[in-house]
Amino acid sequence: MKAAVNYNKRGFYALIIVAILAFAIICRLAYLQLVKGDEYTAKTESQQLGDNEIKASRGTIYDSNMNILAQSASVWSVYINPSKINKISDEAEREETREVIISGLATLLELDEEKVRKYTEKNYSYQLVKGEIEKDTRDAILAFIDEYEDRDENPLDLSSIIGIDPDVKRYYPYSSLASTVIGFTGSDGDGLAGIEYYYNETLKGVSGRTITALNGNGTVMPNQYETIYEAQEGTSLVLTLDIYIQHILEDVLSRALEDTRAENVYGIVMEVDTGAILGMVSLPDYDLNDPFTISSEDLLSDYEEISAMSVEELTENDIPQEQTNKSYYRNVQWSNRAIVNTYEPGSVFKIITAAASIEEGLSDTTREFYCGGSIDYATRHINCWRTSGHGSETFYDLLKNSCNPFAVTLADELGTSRFYDYFEAFGFTEKTGVDTAGDLTPTEGVLFMSREDFSKSDLASYSFGQSFQVSPLQMITAVSAVANGGKLMTPYLVSKELDAEGNTVREAVPTVRRQVISESTAQLICDNMEQVVATGTGKNAYVAGYHVAGKTGTSEKLVVNNKKDTEAYIASFCGFAPANDPEIAVIIIVDEPVGDHGGGAVAAPLAGDVIEQVLMYLGVEHAYTADEMENLVETAPDLKGLSVPDARNKVGEKNLTIKVIGEGDTVISQYPEAGRELPSDGIVVVYTQPDYKAETVTVPDFTGLTVSEANRIALNNGLNIRISGSSLNSGTVYAYKQSVEAGQSVHMGEIITVSFKTTVGVAD
Amino acid sequence: MSRQENGAASFVKSMWHRFANYGSIDIWFLIIVLALLCTGLVMMFSASYPYAQIMYGDSTNFIKKQALYAVIGIVIMFAMSHIKSDFWRLMMPVVSGVTIFLLLIVFVLPQYRAGFYRWINLGFTTFQPSEIAKFAVIVAGAYYYSKYHKKMSSSKVAKGGWAGLVNNKIGAGLIKESWVPTWMFCLFFGGCSILVFLENHLSGCILIFGIGAVMMYLGGVRTRWFVIFGSIGIGLIAIVCIYIMATRDAEGTNFLKGYMEERIVGWLDKDYDPRGVRWQTNQALYAIGSGGFFGKGLGNSTQKYMYVSEPQNDMIFSIVCEELGFAGATIIILLFILLVYRGVVIGLNAKTRFSTMLAMGLVFQVGLQVLLNIAVASDSIPNTGISLPFFSYGGTSLVMLLAEMGIVLGVSREGKLKKK
Repeated sequence: MKAAVNYNKRGFYALIIVAILAFAIICRLAYLQLVKGDEYTAKTESQQLGDNEIKASRGTIYDSNMNILAQSASVWSVYINPSKINKISDEAEREETREVIISGLATLLELDEEKVRKYTEKNYSYQLVKGEIEKDTRDAILAFIDEYEDRDENPLDLSSIIGIDPDVKRYYPYSSLASTVIGFTGSDGDGLAGIEYYYNETLKGVSGRTITALNGNGTVMPNQYETIYEAQEGTSLVLTLDIYIQHILEDVLSRALEDTRAENVYGIVMEVDTGAILGMVSLPDYDLNDPFTISSEDLLSDYEEISAMSVEELTENDIPQEQTNKSYYRNVQWSNRAIVNTYEPGSVFKIITAAASIEEGLSDTTREFYCGGSIDYATRHINCWRTSGHGSETFYDLLKNSCNPFAVTLADELGTSRFYDYFEAFGFTEKTGVDTAGDLTPTEGVLFMSREDFSKSDLASYSFGQSFQVSPLQMITAVSAVANGGKLMTPYLVSKELDAEGNTVREAVPTVRRQVISESTAQLICDNMEQVVATGTGKNAYVAGYHVAGKTGTSEKLVVNNKKDTEAYIASFCGFAPANDPEIAVIIIVDEPVGDHGGGAVAAPLAGDVIEQVLMYLGVEHAYTADEMENLVETAPDLKGLSVPDARNKVGEKNLTIKVIGEGDTVISQYPEAGRELPSDGIVVVYTQPDYKAETVTVPDFTGLTVSEANRIALNNGLNIRISGSSLNSGTVYAYKQSVEAGQSVHMGEIITVSFKTTVGVAD
Repeated sequence: MSRQENGAASFVKSMWHRFANYGSIDIWFLIIVLALLCTGLVMMFSASYPYAQIMYGDSTNFIKKQALYAVIGIVIMFAMSHIKSDFWRLMMPVVSGVTIFLLLIVFVLPQYRAGFYRWINLGFTTFQPSEIAKFAVIVAGAYYYSKYHKKMSSSKVAKGGWAGLVNNKIGAGLIKESWVPTWMFCLFFGGCSILVFLENHLSGCILIFGIGAVMMYLGGVRTRWFVIFGSIGIGLIAIVCIYIMATRDAEGTNFLKGYMEERIVGWLDKDYDPRGVRWQTNQALYAIGSGGFFGKGLGNSTQKYMYVSEPQNDMIFSIVCEELGFAGATIIILLFILLVYRGVVIGLNAKTRFSTMLAMGLVFQVGLQVLLNIAVASDSIPNTGISLPFFSYGGTSLVMLLAEMGIVLGVSREGKLKKK
C-alpha cells in the first residue's frame, strides 16, 4: 500500500508556498525601498524638519517728542489639554485634578468657574483658556502647577495638562488718540490699518528660524544638526504727529461733533514748509486697544437700530443691507476720513482760482468786478451765495466775500486748458503720496473730469469748487503750497526710522513735488486770505495776535447717507497762520452738521481755536496789531511790598482796576500774579492783611453774550476775561465757549478765556 | 527499576529513561536559530533605545530584559531538545486541556488593559494564552493526523467511534473515514480560535486559524478542500471589504468591531486617517522607504525617534529596513526561509509521523508569523498586531519561541538525518 500521506510532497509544497509569499513580500519591499524610496525619504525628512519661527519683536511707534504711541510687549496664553484629564483612569484622581484645575485657573485668570469647567469637559487636546496674560499671572500659574506636582501626598501631573505659550500683545498707551492714523494689528501681529498697515514690513522686522531635526514628539532629536537664523528686530517709527497738537485737535473736534451733531468731523494740522502732518483726527474713532468694539455711542445706537430692522423697513428707509452688519460700523470707526473721504471743496477752492488768475497775469490787486448776484455762463445761470449780489468788488473781495460770479469770470479768462493746468498742478488729479494706508487715488471721470471732457460748464462749477471731489489731505496740501511760497509738498507722517539700538536708519526729507505758483503770487493770496479771516466770511477763525489766513467752504452733499430727512452739507475751513510767516496749516471739515451749516459759522471757529492753541504750544510769539493792542493784553504789575496808594498808582498807569481787600497798609499778596497777561481793562486783586483769606467767586455763564456784556459781567464779579476768537466787529459776535465752566468757584481776579464767534457774514 | 525505591525518584528516573534524548542535534538548525536570535537582539536594541530613553529614561530598558529572557530561552531550548518527541504526543490531552482552561480563565481575570482579555498577569511578567494555544494546535494537529494517517487516503465511510454513530443516526455515508481526524482537530482549533477571537485578539485568532490550516495540509487533507474553502474565504473577505467600503459612512452598519473596520478601511483607502489610524502604518512605510538599498546603517534610523510608535514591537521590521536597507531585509527574510527549510528537512527525517508534523508545524508557525508581520509592516495587509519572531520585544514569547525551537532540535536528535 502506498504511503497514506506523502509528507515529502506536502512539506515541500508548503515550503514552496511560504517561499513564494516571501518572494512577494520581498518584491513589495523592493517597490517601497527602491522605487518609492526617494518619495518616502522626502516625507521622512519633511516631518522631521523642525522649522521654528523666532518672532521678531515689532517696532515701537513714537510721536515727534518720543512719546510711545504703540508698543509690543510679551504676554502669554494659557491652554489646557482636556483629553488628558479625561484619560486619567482613576476616577478619584481624575475628578480631583479637574477640580484643582477649575478652581486654580478660575482664580488666577479671573474667569468664571463654570466656563473653565466646560473647557475641562471637552475632548480636545488643545483648549485656549485665556490669552494675553501678563508675566505675574504667568508666574502665578507656574507656581500653582509646581505646588500640586511637588506635593508629597498624591501629586497631580498638572504640567502635562496646563500649558503656557508665549505671545505678543500690542499696547497703545493713548488708547483712542490718533487711532485712525496709527491703526492696529490683528491676531497674527500684522498691521490692519493706518501706519501699522502701511509700515507693516518695516515695523515687523524679519523673523528668524531655528531649523532642527525633530522626533515624533516634536522635540529635538539628539546628535542632529541645528541651524539658527537670528531674528531681525522690527524698525521703530518716529511720527511727525505731536500728541499735544493731536490732543488739541481732538478736543476741539470732539466738542464740535457733539455740538453740531454731525456724522463725522475730521481735520489735519500740517507744517506748511515741510508737509509734515502734526495732527490728524477723524471722529468718531475707536480705542486702539479694543478695535473691534464700537466705541462711539452714536454709531452703536445706529447699529442696534438698523440691525433690528426688517427687510421692508430697510427698503423703506433706503438703508443698504450692509449697514445691518457690525463690520460696516467697525470700518466706519476705523477709517481715517481726513485721507480717504472725498468732498466737494466748495469756496475753499476759490483760492486756487484766484492764484491761477494772478499767476497768469490776468488779474492784479487793482482788479475790479461787479457782482449782481448771478452770472449767466455757458448756458448756465449761476447764483452767488448772496443772491442780492456783492455789488462793486475789488480783487480782495473775491475771497473775502466768496463771490461766485467773480470766480467764474476769472476762470473764463483762464480758459479750460489753463485752468486745468492749475487743477493738475495743485495735485488734485494725483495721489498725495502720504505714507499711510488709504491715500486717495483720484479716479478720473469719477471724482473729476478728464482733461478731454472738461467743458466750459465744468469750468464754471470748478471755479468755485463744485462738481468734483477732493480729499481733505489734498486740499490742505494745496493750501499749504500757497502758504509756503508756492511749493507743493508731499505730506508725510513718519519722520524717522530707528533700529533696535535707536540709531536712525532713515530720516524723512521733505519732498517738494513742484513749484505751482510764484512766491509773489503766493504772498498776494496769503494777504487775501488773511482778509477773509480779518473781515470776511472766515472771521470766526480770527485769533488776536496770530494773523490767521483762511477760506471757508460749504457744499451740499450729493450722496446723502444718513437718516436725517434734510439736505446734508459739508462745512469746511482751510487756513494757516501766522499769515506773515506761515507755520501751520489747518483744515477742519464738519460732515453733515445739524442746524448751521456754513463753513464760516461751523468750521471756522474750530480752526481758530485749534490755531490759537497750537501756535501757543509751539511758542509762536503774538504779534498784535494796533487795534488788538488796544483791546488786549496788559501784564499784571508786581505790587507786592508796595503801599496801597503806590499800588493804586501803578495799576492806574496801566488802565487796570484794583480791588483792595483788608485793612493793611502794604500789599502782601496779589492775584493774578505779577507778569501774567490781563485784558487791558482787567482787574487785579490785592490782599493787605497777613492773615488774608483768598476770596473766591462763582464763574458766571458767558455764552451768548456780546464782548461788552461779557466784560461788564466779568468786572462785576471780580474776574478778568481774555477774549478769544473773532472780536473785531464786537457788535455781532457772541460768546460760545469759556475756559472755566459756569458755576465753578475760582480765585477772585482769575483770568477766564471766553471765545467769541459771529453769525453774520459767515454764511459761506 | 525496582518498585521498592522511593516513589517520586523512581518516577523521575523512569520518565528520564523513557523520554531523555541523547542523539545529536541538527547543528545547521541551531546555527540559523542563533543567527536570527543575535540579529534580532541587536536590531531590537537599536530600534528600542530612543523610545526607552524618552519613555523610561534608560535606553537599555528593553534590551536588558530581552537579553535576560534570551539567555533563559537558550537554556530552556537545550533542555527541550533533550525531550523525546513522544513525550509531547502523550502530553497532547494535557496541553489541550491547559490551553482551553487558560483561554477561558482570562475572561474572569482582571483585565490587564481595558477591553482586552488576552493577557494573564503573572506579576513579574505577562503572557498571552494564545501563545500556548498556537503550540497546542500544532501538537493536536500532529497527534490526530499521525494517529489516523492511514485513513487519510481512504474513501470508506466511517464505521467505528463517534463518526460511525453519527453515520448510523443520520443514514450511512455522511462522514468518511478520512474526515475523522479533521473533525476532531477542527473541533479543537476552531474552539481555540473562537475563544481567542472573543478575547478581542484578532491577530492571535488569524494565526491559530492559519496554523490549523497548515497542520491540516501537512496532515494530508485533500488539496481540493483547500482550493474550495480558500476560494470561499477569499470571496468572503472580498465581500466584507466591499461592504465595509460601501457602508463606511453609514451609521450602525458595522458588524466588525470599530477598530477592525477602521483598519480595513485604512488599508484600502490610504488617505483615510481619522484619529491617526494610519499613523503607525505610514510611519512604518516612511521608515522602510527611506532605507533605500543599503539602508542608513545600523543605529542610524531617524524614524525610531517616536515616529514609528513602539518601534521595538510589531513594527520593528520597518526599522530593520530603514537601517539595513533592502539588502539587509532580504537577507533576514532569507534566513527565516532557511529556518523553515531546515525545519522541514528535520521533519522529513524524523523518526515518527508525529514528530515530522510537530517539527514542520513549529517552523511553519514561525514562517507564517514572519510573513504576516512583514506584510503588515509593508502595508500589504490591514494592520494587525503580530510580532516578529526573534526580533520583537517580549520576554515570554521569546522564551516560548526558543522552547519550541528546542523541540524541533529534539526531533532532529531522533532523526535519521545525517549528522555532522
